[in-house]
Amino acid sequence: MKDVKIYTENLSVFFDYIQALNNVSIQIKANRVTSIIGPSGCGKTSFLRTLNRMNDLMHGFKMKGEVKIDGVDIYDDNIDVVNLRKLVGMVFQKSNLFPKSVYENLIFAPKLNNIKDKNKLDEIVERSCTQASIWDEIKDRLNDNALNLSAGQQQRLCIARALSVNPDVLLMDEPASALDPISTSRIEELIFELKKDYTILVVTHNMQQAARISDFTAFFYLGQLVEFEKTTKIFTNPSNKQTEDYITGRFG
Amino acid sequence: MERPFDKQIDRLKVKLIKMCSLVDEQVEFAIRSVDEKNISLADLVIERDLKVDKYDTKIERICQKLFALNQPVAMDLRLVMSALKINSNLERIGDLAVNISRFAKELPAKPGFYSRLHFMEIAFLTREMIKNAIDAFIGGDSDLARRVLASDDKLDNMVHETSQTLIEIMKEDQNNIEPALKFYSIFQELERLGDHATNISEEVYFIVKARSIKHRDEDDLFRDHDFNSES
Repeated sequence: MKDVKIYTENLSVFFDYIQALNNVSIQIKANRVTSIIGPSGCGKTSFLRTLNRMNDLMHGFKMKGEVKIDGVDIYDDNIDVVNLRKLVGMVFQKSNLFPKSVYENLIFAPKLNNIKDKNKLDEIVERSCTQASIWDEIKDRLNDNALNLSAGQQQRLCIARALSVNPDVLLMDEPASALDPISTSRIEELIFELKKDYTILVVTHNMQQAARISDFTAFFYLGQLVEFEKTTKIFTNPSNKQTEDYITGRFG
Repeated sequence: MERPFDKQIDRLKVKLIKMCSLVDEQVEFAIRSVDEKNISLADLVIERDLKVDKYDTKIERICQKLFALNQPVAMDLRLVMSALKINSNLERIGDLAVNISRFAKELPAKPGFYSRLHFMEIAFLTREMIKNAIDAFIGGDSDLARRVLASDDKLDNMVHETSQTLIEIMKEDQNNIEPALKFYSIFQELERLGDHATNISEEVYFIVKARSIKHRDEDDLFRDHDFNSES
């Protein structure tokens, strides 16, 4: 299907003898926001990290099945993992900026990708910050230490940094869980804006957030994909009883 | 940056306002179909009720989605709650316009007693109440909403007086009974239209002032100790 960006077929993931994902088959649409919800330990983050091979170095990692992005098997031996991560950016729960200036954080990845021209780098900094709705706040603070920014600004700077290498896909693992309501709302607005250009996957514990921001929602439980549907359907009339119990808080 | 939620709220308002215009016109045509004995206008009202029902369903869906996905609070919460109720009232107004149009089709030629009924005077007041309720909603005007409430008593009195006149008309000549009964039903529908305009105005007051004036003063309503302890 043309509009499918990410495709997994019978994906199972193991860490030693623990199975984190069990036969997950899903088709994530391009330029849409997909939320991944489920109780702790259900495999949400393992799934997300599988999509840019962040699990590769985890102890005892093994996987079965297929993961394709734009039809390309990302676990193929010929895949350059650094290039893959350029294509599939990631933002974590807590901002993980380098203890360097705002500017240096933003040009770090482009420089790794051999972009040396100062004008070009300046252009990248402005574009990614504008996309991450933080340009106006930091354009006069580019030489400040990034760690001096507020928590909400740091998180948006992380998003800007992820955008600096022009990815296609943005993975977000609890991107707003450590933020106050105003900063959370800004991140949510940002996600809504960014989906025009990117395919976005968001892992969240906050079901209301999933409802607000996403077009599609996937409910995981015990490593299995229980239900994957349009967010409106999941939150008004889910097909599966486990999904209903989880979103209504009757779980367990 | 505009929240996706704001777009949904705007969409809800636009749909409601369009439904208001349609329903207002349905009532106007229904009244004219009686006054002018215009069958094609009556048929148009009956036919267009499907459109009113479509708005009703669409607005319900938007509200359901807003509740499920956006958890509205404060003014937004009151708006979505009231939008659901206003929607139901508009849908009922549409049904009453259909009923009036059906009676209009069944009526024989304008009876001799027609001028004694002050039909257009009462119909004008009813339409004005509906129009003001809609304007109050669109403009968030709680004062105008209150004025609609005041008009309802006047409408009830006028309908009551006309009902007495109709009884007299029926007593005068038994040939009047059938058309007079039809008119009696039409006036009952006009009175109900006024009730729905009142309901809409109460919802507008609730949206703007966050207070319910549906029954009596909210404080009086919940002064009852037993009721409070139950909740």
